[in-house]
Parts: sequence; structure tokens; C-alpha cells
Amino acid sequence: MELVCLGLNHHTAPVEVRERFAVSEAKLGEAAGELKGIAGLQAGVVLSTCNRTEYYALAESVAEGRGLLREYMNAHAGEDIGDEYIYAAEGGEVARHLCRVVSGLDSMVLGETEVFGQAKRAYQAALEAGHTSGELNRLFQKAFGVGKRVRTATGIQEGQTSVGSVAVDLAEKIFGHLKKSRVVVVGAGEQSRVTAQALRSRGAESIIVTNRSPERAEELAVEMGGRAVSFDQWNTVLAGVDVVISSTSAPHYVVKPWQIEAVRRVRKFRPLFLIDLAVPRDIDPEVGEIEEVYLYDIDTIEQIAGEGRERRTAQIAVCEKIIEEELVKSGLLP
Amino acid sequence: MKWVRRAWRDMDKWLLAGSTVLVVLGGGLGLLALQRRQRSVWTLVSMLGAFVLQLAFLGVRGEARGACPLGDYGEILAFLAWSLVLFYLLVGPAYRLSLLGLFTAPVVVVFQLVALVPGMMMENPERVAEVNAWGEAHSAFSVLSYGAFALAAVAGLMFLVLNHQLKEHHLNTGLFAVLPPVRALSVSVVRLTILGVVILTVGMVSGFLMKREGGEAHLSAAIMIWASYLALLGVHFWRGLTPLRMSLGVISLFVLSLIVFALV
Repeated sequence: MELVCLGLNHHTAPVEVRERFAVSEAKLGEAAGELKGIAGLQAGVVLSTCNRTEYYALAESVAEGRGLLREYMNAHAGEDIGDEYIYAAEGGEVARHLCRVVSGLDSMVLGETEVFGQAKRAYQAALEAGHTSGELNRLFQKAFGVGKRVRTATGIQEGQTSVGSVAVDLAEKIFGHLKKSRVVVVGAGEQSRVTAQALRSRGAESIIVTNRSPERAEELAVEMGGRAVSFDQWNTVLAGVDVVISSTSAPHYVVKPWQIEAVRRVRKFRPLFLIDLAVPRDIDPEVGEIEEVYLYDIDTIEQIAGEGRERRTAQIAVCEKIIEEELVKSGLLP
Repeated sequence: MKWVRRAWRDMDKWLLAGSTVLVVLGGGLGLLALQRRQRSVWTLVSMLGAFVLQLAFLGVRGEARGACPLGDYGEILAFLAWSLVLFYLLVGPAYRLSLLGLFTAPVVVVFQLVALVPGMMMENPERVAEVNAWGEAHSAFSVLSYGAFALAAVAGLMFLVLNHQLKEHHLNTGLFAVLPPVRALSVSVVRLTILGVVILTVGMVSGFLMKREGGEAHLSAAIMIWASYLALLGVHFWRGLTPLRMSLGVISLFVLSLIVFALV
């Protein structure tokens, strides 16, 4: 029996194509059953994340397996989708590809960890539904072992690579867990929305939104499960918050030293984390001179994210070496 | 068998030297882990081993004196190092301040190395004729409180390092990756200072109750140090104090108290 994999991801297909193949987590076992049900295929696992859908199967021959999977994909899409969207792997290449996927080397955010859990759940769903077999089990179990080793033995998940994740990392370095942290978002732009959402997802207690357009502030506040305050009164909430995210389009400074100085005593000099995502800047750099204030502007945050990306990119070769070593050792690669 | 008798006679020093080696080992392992941007559980294990040897040392010296082993500078420094490790073991893991061990290790090593310098410890300490319970409590609680103050200073130092890195955006060091959060450090500084003040208060009260022969300068210095720590806490709770000033305060007061007590 031969291992075959066909799939499409963010490198090969745009979202309007990928979304047609998306399988919800609850239906992964069922989808694996559909693969196994195809005459000529003996076992199957379907991995589906927001950036990829991949079909793993065991077939009598590689050519037959590829053909059957391709037919299945066309049937799923309801039309013949172009070859340019699809990639394929066979034999040892399948093992190499899966190891790269679970290690986060094939992800949009290099080294991200979520895909490891998603692959585990996809395999578990197929296994529990009884649609895997010896060779496919060996492949996935080996890939999870390799993925773990890659993540612990290399720096592939070190540092942060996006504005949101850098902000969360810095906030956690200042406040520890974010469960009791309160955030005010000044200006309801996309960047501040993403950053506030990242803080919220890590447990930030409350989000207060303020914007020149009150409707937009209200909209974002509802989306974040927070509340909106009027733009001319936003500094009244300053005494009670821990993080300020600012990204207005104002041509002048919105946050000035006197505003922070005015609430320092009421705040009992607690640390305050200010994130300035605006260009031109919203927060007067002199605010950063205040002892308990940690001020980061968009350039600094982008620089940190860029360094994180560079560090991770430099680790790709090390990760690939581990993958090769492990696969050769286990006999999955010659 | 002369060397065996001699080694037995110097058992206390061997125990202190052994614990110093373990602290150096713990610090070294912590440093190696730091280079890998990880935390080392072996630092905690080594410090635990050092703590046991320190206890044995204090036991041997206490047995020889028939009293709390605080009769010479060597014993005081060793007792101080022991209390520092004690509070580290109590506070470090509880507040996830594992890196505290790395910062504590050099202070403990310096105290113990100075204690081991010939002349710092009496070769054959005299057995005390009469044990004064209040006097013993005064000495023990006072030195113990300095363990808490020393650890507060160490946590304060860690805060200063982290604060500088966050302010100046120097975030690529291994140290930054493993330092505890700002809030955890500033909370620890305050709690350790409170603990130190409470223990020192017990030591002071015991001092007032014990039979005193002179030593007014020592008493004045102790009151001054106690009042300074109390004032620092008062300002912190009453009007608030930035974590930077609180940290600088506990470090300065600790250094000042060491200097003062070395002189009086």
C-alpha cells in the first residue's frame, strides 16, 4: 500500500477556493470515512484548518490514489478545480510534508502551534471512527513525535511575529496573566481591533472603546464584549485601565504627558502599558519618560515582530535537519 | 587518623563550604538554562541541598555554643545566608520566581565566602554560661528579618533589570525571556518587605525585653533601620510609590543596614 496526500493551502489557493473544502472539526471523522469508502482507498485522514485542507490516504498505487483523491476533491467542489491550486505528495514525501505541517514550517505564521493540535484532532477523529490503518497510524504518530521534538529542540516558536502577538507578549511581561487587566482602545481602526482582540483572547477583563465616530466605537465595543465611551471623555477611564491601544488618524498627539500625570496618584503608580499603532503617532514620546509607563510605538512593535520572524526563519534549516534525521531513523524515508 | 580528627573538628566549615559549592552549582545551572532561554529546576534542587547543609552547619555551631549561633561575624553572615535561602525556597516557587535563585546565589556565595575567611569564625566557640531566651529571640528574629530584606532587595534588583529592558526596548536577551513579570516582581518586593518588617518587629520587641548591657548604638541603628522600612511601606500604601522607587528603596535600605551594622 502507498501513502498519498493531496491538498491545498494558503500558498496554492486563495480563500474563495480554500473555503469550499473546509471541513468543520465535528465532521472530520465523517470526511475520513468518505475517503475510506472510496473503492481503491484503504484508510483516510482529513486535516482542515483555516489555511489548508489536506487528504491523507492509503492506496494500492500512487497513481490510483492521486486520481481517486482528485476525483473526490472535484466532487466535493462540484466542479473540476484547477491543478494549480493543488499539491500532492507520495510515499516518504507524505511523511516529510506532514512533519513540516505539524512543526508549523508550512504555516502562514511560521512556527505557530495551533496546527499541531488541529492535526492531532483530525487524526483522532479518523482513528476513533475506525478509518485509519497501521501505516497511516505510524505516519501520524511519528509526525507528532517529530513535531514535538522540533518545537522543543529548536527556536521555531520563539519570539512573536505579529503586532497583536507582540503586544500580548509585552502585556504578559508587564502584568503576568491578563485576567484582571483592563484595556482602552482609542480609535477603532483595524490594527487596534486585532490587537485588542489578541489581548481579549488572552483573558483581558474588559475592553473600553472610544472613537471620534461613536457608532464605530459602539460597534467595536459590542464585537469585543466591552463598552464604548465618548471620545472627549476617554481620559476619565485612564485611571482604571492597564493597557491603552491608540490608533487614531489625528494629525497631533492624542495622549499627552499631563493626562497621565493627572491620574498617576489615583492609579497608585501602577504600571501602564501604552501601545501606539498610529502614524503619525498618537502618544507623545515624552509619556514614555514617566517611570511606570511602558510605551511602544508601531515601529518598535513591527521591529520586534520582524526580529521574531527572522529568528524563526533562521531555524527552518535546523528543523528540516531534525525531520530528515527522524524520518530516516524510522524508515519512513530511505 | 590525625586528618580525620582535624576534618571532624572543622566539620562546620566543611558544611558551609559544601553548601557554598551547591549554591555556586545552582547559580551556574541557572545561568546555563538562561542561555537556552529556559528556567532551571536544578537551581531549586541545588539551593535545597545548600539549605540542608546550612542547617547542618548552624546545628553544629549551635550545639557547640549551646545557643543560637550568632556569636561572631562568620555565624551572623552564615545565618543571614541561610535565611536568604529559606525565603527564596518559600517565595521563589510560590510566586513562580524561579530566576530569583540565579540572583540570590551570588549574594549567598559572597556572604558565605566572607564567613569562611579565617578569623571571621571562632575556631572553638565558647559554650555560653547562661541562655537568655529574649536575647536569643532578638538575635535570631533580627537576622531572619534581614533574610527577607535581602530577598526583597534581590527581587528589586530583578525589577530594575526588567524595567530597564522594557523601557529601552532591549528585549532580545535570554534574561528578558525568563524574568518574571513586572507585577509579580513588584508584588514580591512589597510582600517580602512586609514580612521582613513583621519579623524585625518581633526581634525588636525581644530586644527591648532582654537584659541589656550597653549597646545603645546598636539599638539606635536597629530602630532607625526598622523605622525606615516602615516609612517606605507607609508611603507605598498611603500615597503610592512607583515600582522603580520601591525597588530602589529596598535595595538602598538593605545596603545601608549592612553598612550600619558592620560599623556599630
